[in-house]
This record gives sequence, C-alpha cells and structure tokens, in this order.
Amino acid sequence: MAAENIVTIRNLTKLYRQGEIDVTALNNVSLDIAAAEFLALMGPSGSGKSTLLHIIAGVDRPTSGECRVQDVDVTRLNESQLADWRNQNVGFIFQTFNLIPVLTAAENVELPLLLTQLNRSQRRKQVATALELVGLSDRAHHLPRQLSGGQEQRVAIARALVTDPKLIVADEPTGNLDSHSAQEVLGVLQSLRQDAGKTIIMVTHDPKAAAFGTRQIHLEKGELS
Amino acid sequence: MTISTFIIKNALRNKRRAFLSVSSVAASLFLLVTLQVALRELTQPPESSGAELRVAVRNKISLTNPLPARQRGIIEKIPGVEGVTPFTWFGGKYKGEEGMSFAQFAVDPKALGTVFSDAKMDAAGYKNFNEQKDSCVLGKITAEKYGLKVGDRFVLDSTVYPGSLTFRVAGIYSGTPDDRNMLFRQDYLDDSLGVPGQVGMWWLKVKSADDMPRVTAAVNQAFENTSAEVRAESERAFQLGFLAMLGNIKALVASISTVVVFTLVLVTASTMSMAVRERFRELAILKALGFRRRELFAFILAESFGLSVVGAAIGIGVAYCAYTFGDIGKMTHGIFVTFEVTPRIIGFSALVAALLGIVSAIAPSLAVARMSVVNGLKTLD
Repeated sequence: MAAENIVTIRNLTKLYRQGEIDVTALNNVSLDIAAAEFLALMGPSGSGKSTLLHIIAGVDRPTSGECRVQDVDVTRLNESQLADWRNQNVGFIFQTFNLIPVLTAAENVELPLLLTQLNRSQRRKQVATALELVGLSDRAHHLPRQLSGGQEQRVAIARALVTDPKLIVADEPTGNLDSHSAQEVLGVLQSLRQDAGKTIIMVTHDPKAAAFGTRQIHLEKGELS
Repeated sequence: MTISTFIIKNALRNKRRAFLSVSSVAASLFLLVTLQVALRELTQPPESSGAELRVAVRNKISLTNPLPARQRGIIEKIPGVEGVTPFTWFGGKYKGEEGMSFAQFAVDPKALGTVFSDAKMDAAGYKNFNEQKDSCVLGKITAEKYGLKVGDRFVLDSTVYPGSLTFRVAGIYSGTPDDRNMLFRQDYLDDSLGVPGQVGMWWLKVKSADDMPRVTAAVNQAFENTSAEVRAESERAFQLGFLAMLGNIKALVASISTVVVFTLVLVTASTMSMAVRERFRELAILKALGFRRRELFAFILAESFGLSVVGAAIGIGVAYCAYTFGDIGKMTHGIFVTFEVTPRIIGFSALVAALLGIVSAIAPSLAVARMSVVNGLKTLD
C-alpha cells in the first residue's frame, strides 16, 4: 500500500519581480511527497529548488497554486498562523548552521521550545533527548564556536527535531562540511527517517548527498524534469 | 534558558558596544539631570522661612540706582510694617582675590533680627554687632571657607566705593538658604564714605501675610512723583525679577536639554540599528523557527529599553550621589549653595530614558517586521 502523502503540491508558480522583469522561479510545479520519505531535491543554481523548499516550509508564498502540508494549505495562512504552524510542524536545517553564537548548544536547541507551553524541566528533557539523538549530549554546554562544523550542524538538526515535527527541511545541509562530517550529518538524517519516521526534504547539489535520499527529483528552470 | 536570559545574552554579546552605549546614556542622563537641577535652582531659588513676610523696595529706575535714606521714616510709619533695614551693596574683594566670592551688604543691626529672622546667630553676635560700628556678621559658609572666627579682622577692597574697609567679625549666622553673605553696618559705610544719606535698597518685614499687598501698594504710592520712585514687591517677585535680568535661562537650558536628548536618541537608535542589522540573519532564523513579529519586537524593545534604563540608572544615580553627598559649593565654586536632585527631576529623567529605549527600538523593529525569512536568510549568504 502506498504511503500517505504528507506534502501535496499542485500547479505551483512563483514569479519574482526584478526591476521591470518578471522572473519565473517555479513554473506550474506539481509534486507529492509521502510520509517518511527522504526526498533529495536537486538542480543547478537558480533552478528554483530552494524556492520550492521555502514554500513547502511556509517561509515564502507562491504566486499561484496550492501547497498542502499535512492537509493544511500553507498558502492560505496569515503571517501569525504560519509562524505557529512552522513552530509545530517544520524543522529547519540550513547550510550555514545558523546557531545563535551567544547560546550554548543546549540553549540553541531549546529556542523553538520557548514558544511552547512546556515548563523548564520538560524543555530540558526534550533538549537532552534531541541532543542524544544526534550524539552530542556531551557538548550540551559548549558554545557554537567551541564545536566543529559537523557538530554545529548536528546541533542544528537537534534544534529542528526538538519540537518533534513530522517534516524536516534541509537546505544544502552538507554544503559547508568536509566529507567526513557530511557523511555523519547525512547518516543522522537517514536514521531520523528510518527510526523516527520523519519526512525529510533536502536541497543539495551533491549527488553523493542525494544518494542518501529515498527519492531524487530534479528541477530545471523552475520545472520538474 | 528563559526569554529574559536570551535577551540579556543578546544585549551583552558585544560587550564593548554595550558598555559604550550604557556609558553614553549614563553621561547624557547625568548631564540632563545636572541641567534640570541647575534650571530649578536658578528659577526656583530656595525660599527662607521669613520670605512670605518680606518686601523688597528698590529704585523704580534700576536696582543699581540708590535710594535716599530719608525714605525710611516714611516707610516705618506705614501700618503693617514691622521692621525696615537698608540693604546696600558693597562689592568688596577679599584679600586681593580677583572676583567677589561672597556678597556684602550694609544693614541696620537693630533691624537685622526682625527683618532677617531666619538668620540664626547667638545673642553675643547680635550684641557685638549692635555695639561695634566696624563689626560684621558672616554667613557660616563664608566663615568656614576663609577660616574666620568671631573677633577676627579682615579687609575688603570695594569695587563700588573708593578705598577699603576693615571689618571685625561680630558673629556667624546660619539657617538661611544661602549662608554666604556678609552683613555690616550702614552707619559704618556712611561714616567711611563721608556721604551719608543713600542706601542701595530697603528690606522690610510686614506683620502678617494679609498686610503684604496693602503695604507694597502703600510703599509704592508713598514715593510716587518724588525724585526717587520705588518698586516694592514680595521677596519672591523680587527674586524672579532679578533672575529675569540674567536673560531667558529657562529657554537656554531647555534648548541644551533638547539637544542632549536628541543626540542621545540618535546614538541609541544607531546602536540598536547596528545591533539588529548584524543579527538580521539570526532574527530571520527565529522567524523561521516560529517567532512572530510581536515577539521579535519585544526582544528588540527589551534590549533597547534595558540598555537605556541601565545607563539612566547609572547616570541619575551618580548625579544624585554627587549632588546629595558632595560639597556643591566647592564643585561649583560657590555659584550654587544647594543643588537638589528632586524626585520630580529623577522621574522626568527616568521617563526620558524609558522613551529613549522605546523610540530607539522602533526603526530596527520595523525593519525586522518587514523582513521576510527568505530575504533575512540571504543577508549573509
């Protein structure tokens, strides 16, 4: 039996205005992503893959079309509703880690939980669990500058996981890592799909990284190829 | 971690900038408090306990024009007048000092206790003052400043009259708002000059506050159409009129205060803008994680407000301690005797700091509110 779709995209178009010219970032894209899938989104620079990822994650809006994530049409939510939705349903992993430099690893992971109703001890428990999942329990009180690139990205993964979202979006998560650290990070993402049933959408240029996915799709000039 | 921990860590992430920001706010608030206190001291001089019953009578043309001594008899006969004394400016310099560091006035020793009843002095002082023509009474501040004691003699070189006069300290008074003046005998001045018959102005005391309007009107009327018309007015009105001669100090201080506050707004707003601009990407990350505009605005506002309030607390605190526990006479070289940081001034300065914190947060908050997550993430790419 086919797995239930967690993301359903229909006729998605995104136009950017650059001066007097409209640039088409996405052109009538339709796509289904199943639950617990590890989708590698590939394509050259400017192909629209990050734009597609941003729309799915609710940080950008399409010009037209529909994007349903877990049966919620994210294109119809207002700013405040989108913020709540992102906090509860999406985990973000970025190329440049984007940890807050003045916070320890544990505090960085705790950030999304500050918006929840959890009390301090509940938050600590969840942070400890998330750090354990990425194998960084012993680095909980280290500042980002005291961690290697691979460790920083694993902290970012823990931050993405800590609210227990079904969907994790990763924009070039290995782009700033050496091959060893990249393997580690991809291994963590793979185990999240296999062991925790997370759906992972990863943008990457790297075919080796894409090979960790269960499916690869290519975007070219805003269209699926 | 709590939200407040997060805000504090953010505010202190660039410790040098935080220190400089807090210091600039502290220095500006110190200056603002100083200006406000100076303005208050200049425009609302402290009133002595007998002020409500005292009337100043001066030449209608100008304070510098003398009055004839014969007016005294007429004034004393006006119903409601309890006592009258001449009050003549001497303008003496002490021991070759370049300027005058305390004022000296010639008075009638017999009327001193009546008209200036707030000046407290022992009975021996009054007795000496009444009996010795060359005697004088000194305010406590001046006596302490020059180490003068009862019985000491000193010389003053007048800048108004030719020559010098030697005085003997008969007593030391205190209890007035400004215990710096020296009072000596009008008859000593008259004898020394050899031209009796003129005084600088009159101070008189009325029997009750109800008598004040009638007495002032009667004094003015008594010398109408004479060669020396007078202006009689309450002590308070006289002080304000005297201050008016100094020009519009209030407008001057207000304009300096405005410049201080305006500069402070620019400095703080610039600091907050820089602090937010270098964290634009982080704020975009926070937005992506689910933080809403109002929460980000609260972070920025709290940081800005915190820096302003800490700076203000230091600036106002230092000003309060310096002016409350310091020797203001020495600090201002005798220009001010009191320099009171009132609760009203503290409240006003704290309000300025609070508004400063809010205003400084507005521009960066608007920029963050307008920022999309996608554009914010691109800022360092």
